[in-house]
Amino acid sequence: MSTTTKVPLERKVLSENDHLAAELRAEFARHGIHCLNLISSPGSGKTALLERTLAAFDPARRVAVLTGDIQTDADARRLARYGFPVRQITTAGACHLDARMVAKALEGWDLATLDLLFIENVGNLVCPTSYDLGEAAKVVLLSVAEGEEKPLKYPGIFFKSKLMVLTKTDLLPYVPFRLDDAIANARAIQPDIEILQVSNTTGEGLDKWLEWIARRT
Amino acid sequence: MHELGIANSILEAVETEMRPHPGARAVKIGVTVGALSGVDRDSLAFCFQAIVKGTPFESLALDVRDAAADELELNSLELEEPEP
Repeated sequence: MSTTTKVPLERKVLSENDHLAAELRAEFARHGIHCLNLISSPGSGKTALLERTLAAFDPARRVAVLTGDIQTDADARRLARYGFPVRQITTAGACHLDARMVAKALEGWDLATLDLLFIENVGNLVCPTSYDLGEAAKVVLLSVAEGEEKPLKYPGIFFKSKLMVLTKTDLLPYVPFRLDDAIANARAIQPDIEILQVSNTTGEGLDKWLEWIARRT
Repeated sequence: MHELGIANSILEAVETEMRPHPGARAVKIGVTVGALSGVDRDSLAFCFQAIVKGTPFESLALDVRDAAADELELNSLELEEPEP
């Protein structure tokens, strides 16, 4: 004979990641570091936006970048040219960064020397959504070449992001992208989401992005 | 694609919960998955089946229910304990 017992759990599936992320968040707060987690499809312009951003910063700016990819350190090499500390996280197959990878990548860095940290997530609109990295805000990038229905197709990341950056706006004359619909779709998922438009090629809109960062730091 | 990682986290939680219940058999684990959680239910069920196969948890049922927004939670674990 046996008896059936029901054990209530009532906790998040990813509570271990969330616990680590909370530690990271406390560590960032202790050092006055503002951390932004950049998420988008592959090829939407995360690295290009960071290149533009680092190029615009004063060389004395206390900024660093962690960049995640499944393979290669190509992005870290691209970003290292600007003279700020950059580290590559190679996930070897994993489709997202998690808090443990971030904590490991930060080992040996003197956090007291930083006040801004960009984390460039693995290019993917789905999986990174579930993993808190201790960031102050998630920023989702959507390139105009991808189509205005993306926020409806991948609602999770638009729901969780503080800011949507519409990238590649220089392509607007050439692609059938309905800008107003893209904005309406994002707001249908997340009414409070802030929206910026940037072209990493022409630099148009970059000033607004830099102002957005400046307001938060 | 990350449902395999989510399935692993669920199984790890079950293993942790079973430790205080030696001799018991895990019957059903209940999780709630919100539409905005970024987790695909079918994919999660598929991955879960794949990782429990050939383990003591092969007969453990995964009970997935809808939830609000981005919720992704463990609800309850049903286990069978031998009568003392």
